[in-house]
Amino acid sequence: MEEDKNNNENPLKANRRHFFSQLSVGIGSLALGSLLIPDLFKGGAEKLMNQPLGIAHFAPKAKRIIYLFQAGGPSQLESFDYKPTLQKRMGEDLPESIRAGQRLTGMTSGQDSFPLMPSAVKFRQHGESQTWISDYFPHIAKIADEITVVRSMQTEAINHDPAITFFQTGSQISGRPSMGSWLSYGLGSENKNLPSFVVLTSRGKGNSQGLYSKLWSSGFLDSKHQGVLLRSGKDPVLYLNDPDGISRSDKRHLLDHVSSLNKLHHLETGDDEIESRIAQYEMAYRMQMSVPDVMDISKEPESIIKLYGEDCQVPGTYAANALQARRLAENGVRFIQLYHQGWDQHGNLPNEMAGQAKDVDKASAALVMDLKQRGMLEDTLVVWGGEFGRTNYCQGKFDPTNYGRDHHPRAFSVWMAGGGIKPGLNYGKTDEFGYNVIENPVHINDFHATLMHAMGLDHEQLTYKHQGRRFRLTDVAGHVVKDLLI
Amino acid sequence: MTYTSKNRWADYWVLALSVFLVFCLVFEPYIELPSLVSWLGRWHPLVLHFPIVLLLMAIFLGLTGKKVPNLLLTVGVLSALVTAVSGFFLGKETPVKGELLFWHQWLGAGVALFAALWYALSQVQLDQKIYTKGIQVIMIGLVALAGHYGGMVTHGEDFLALPMEKQQEKIPENPIIYKDIVSRILDDKCVSCHNPNKQKGELLMTNLAELFKGGKSGNTLVPGEPEQSELIRRLHLPMEDEERMPPEGKTPLNDNEIAILERWIALGASGSQRLDELDKNESLVALVKEMMVPDPVEKWSKLPTVADSTLKNLSSDYLTIERLASNSDALSVDIYLAPEYDPKPIMNLKRVAKNIIELDLSGLPIGQDEMTLVFACHNLEWLELDKTPLTDREIENLINLKNLSFLKIYETPITDLSISTFKDLPNLKSLYLWGTDISDRALAGLRKSNPGLLINNGINGDTKAFFLATDSIK
Repeated sequence: MEEDKNNNENPLKANRRHFFSQLSVGIGSLALGSLLIPDLFKGGAEKLMNQPLGIAHFAPKAKRIIYLFQAGGPSQLESFDYKPTLQKRMGEDLPESIRAGQRLTGMTSGQDSFPLMPSAVKFRQHGESQTWISDYFPHIAKIADEITVVRSMQTEAINHDPAITFFQTGSQISGRPSMGSWLSYGLGSENKNLPSFVVLTSRGKGNSQGLYSKLWSSGFLDSKHQGVLLRSGKDPVLYLNDPDGISRSDKRHLLDHVSSLNKLHHLETGDDEIESRIAQYEMAYRMQMSVPDVMDISKEPESIIKLYGEDCQVPGTYAANALQARRLAENGVRFIQLYHQGWDQHGNLPNEMAGQAKDVDKASAALVMDLKQRGMLEDTLVVWGGEFGRTNYCQGKFDPTNYGRDHHPRAFSVWMAGGGIKPGLNYGKTDEFGYNVIENPVHINDFHATLMHAMGLDHEQLTYKHQGRRFRLTDVAGHVVKDLLI
Repeated sequence: MTYTSKNRWADYWVLALSVFLVFCLVFEPYIELPSLVSWLGRWHPLVLHFPIVLLLMAIFLGLTGKKVPNLLLTVGVLSALVTAVSGFFLGKETPVKGELLFWHQWLGAGVALFAALWYALSQVQLDQKIYTKGIQVIMIGLVALAGHYGGMVTHGEDFLALPMEKQQEKIPENPIIYKDIVSRILDDKCVSCHNPNKQKGELLMTNLAELFKGGKSGNTLVPGEPEQSELIRRLHLPMEDEERMPPEGKTPLNDNEIAILERWIALGASGSQRLDELDKNESLVALVKEMMVPDPVEKWSKLPTVADSTLKNLSSDYLTIERLASNSDALSVDIYLAPEYDPKPIMNLKRVAKNIIELDLSGLPIGQDEMTLVFACHNLEWLELDKTPLTDREIENLINLKNLSFLKIYETPITDLSISTFKDLPNLKSLYLWGTDISDRALAGLRKSNPGLLINNGINGDTKAFFLATDSIK
């Protein structure tokens, strides 16, 4: 009885006696019995993989990704999607033929009318690619020929939490592993002294929505793949430093003994999470040296500080995080996720958006140029964008100098640079109202598939079996957008 | 006819295994194996050698008129049955059975069942009769064929084919879409059945006029309308469909090739259009370009083999060594600065030097010794030497790295003397050298002599000035 219980709780722990007692039933009855119950002898955590882990499936174009996530849903109509028609038809009601039954959030569904609202900021074409970029982003405009703007992004969610969860994990319902965790799982670590997935957050003055650690969780994947949040200030990683009076060699001894105890426990139970824990202690020990080193920007020359903007010396700003992102990328972190909060402009859009743009414009462009001069744009992919777009009609009082826009999932813009993505491309088109995609739609699943392809992974091959079925980042959809690739 | 069993247990086992084998084969689609049983299948490659030897020995004795020892036959038959059953388990691991595996399975099962039949006959003392001889002769053929198909399953279909150099002509710089791209795909994947000798479905695919004419089903190719074209329709049918092309067992077209055919038909299936006549944003351009760039993994296929254990031994906390792709021996090495620098892990890389394609030594205090390792990496394509104290003298021998295409050497004390080194690197495509003592004049000379070389000398002056002077919108 005791033995049965133990066996059920720890299916991996099978000793010689268990093995033979199961085998003694006879191969014939074993095979016949299995016809009735296929899962009879299956362990819980069985992984069936066609491809070995920790290696790219094919030669990758990008080795790491820096994802500049603009949380809240920046308006495409004031940034990268120029729509002169909105100016011409200002104040007219959004035609029903264009809206075509699109559901609205509770914030505007009660509105009597949906008056079209043009951009309060001017647009200009930049670079040889003639990319339309608004005057809110003068520095990104300078690198127009380095970036590819995708104006035909589409999502299914209409509210922040499901939308951002969808973008990060490929599912609107939380619990799945984050994009960075999948890449860490598929490709392993480039530098054993740093986590392969790092998160940095900052916050603008605009209307913000919450960020939760579930966005960088490893879900059902091994916990060593979860994103590590680096905080600004004295302790980038909490509880990483040793208490006063403990020397590094004391710590080493402590870890060695704890590790041998943990290994004994692992032999007993066979629980893989114990091995993860041992690895994490070791990683933390090495991070005590490596993290302060990476986070210390005091050796960055004046010219670099000026390039990113003086703000980058203030810990916790977007500019500081952007500079940090480059340093982490140089040190082999696979997936560096920045979040900048404050892009949720339901009202006071021109004013708030100008402020948000000011936070990120210079540092984002500086990051791309800095990576370029270091030759890192050849193997680092930079992505800039939010979780959805905003409506072409006005939310709240109609005032062309102070208006708001609601959430819009059907069309929005992101840009990418480097890492095997064609530079200077304008991809996808929306209709003249900026409401529907009319050319080359890119669904979030397609977007994920494309990012994974750039990293050398086949999104259909990288799977993990959990609760009886195999999961992927793209679930059961997604096509690589080949037109975007070099 | 008398039944005198010498070993009742052996009879039961032969009978039980035969019945089980037949059961497996008959109910194959309904069977799903648990992992432990699948694991038993992995023993197939080991046990299969016993029946081959034992049965051939028994057959030899039988055909030369000698008495076949009962023990030899019993063990031979039992091992044949165990092999067949374990082979069946192993075969269940493959999701879709190819033609080879199909034949191997049935021939192997045939060997086992004929052996069982022979055993049964011998137990009733009919083993010297003519039909026993017949069975023995058939079994020689079955053993040989089952073994041959099994070998092809494991080692590849052309394993025993005579050595033949397969030469692919290079695609020209500005290809004619039909002649250089489309017809190459058709030649590779379709023409083996649709040529004047074979002409399956009355369709010839050797030239454009025949394609327009079509075959028995008609509408093979409708210019401008890929959805109406029989050619495209059949490419998209599921594998099980009778009408799918290429049929089961032949190499299917990959997604890229199908997409090329589709776009080419959608654009009117022209016979003369060239790549540069297409719109820049036309997706066919990207597809064709992808086909023109050889898969780097293929280029690296001639590298010596390295074992995973070697890589594990060479790597350390500060040295990451990984394969560039899962099926390749090309290596990428990243080295990070340890609290106490030690050159030994770098020098140890010598044994895999030929396999190193990418090497990152950024920011390390390396000198002449470590550079001898770099120069030993003859196949190196990507090299990062930035932020190192290397001098002109120490990097001179880089000219021996004929495949080097990417070099980062910014923020080093090199001077104009190194320009001649860079000039002589035939494959160099990107060079990053700001923050060095190289003069503008020397750079201009390099730009002139190597026009295809992309030289990065830091951020463009105007852009930089704009960034330093302005803040974002006020």
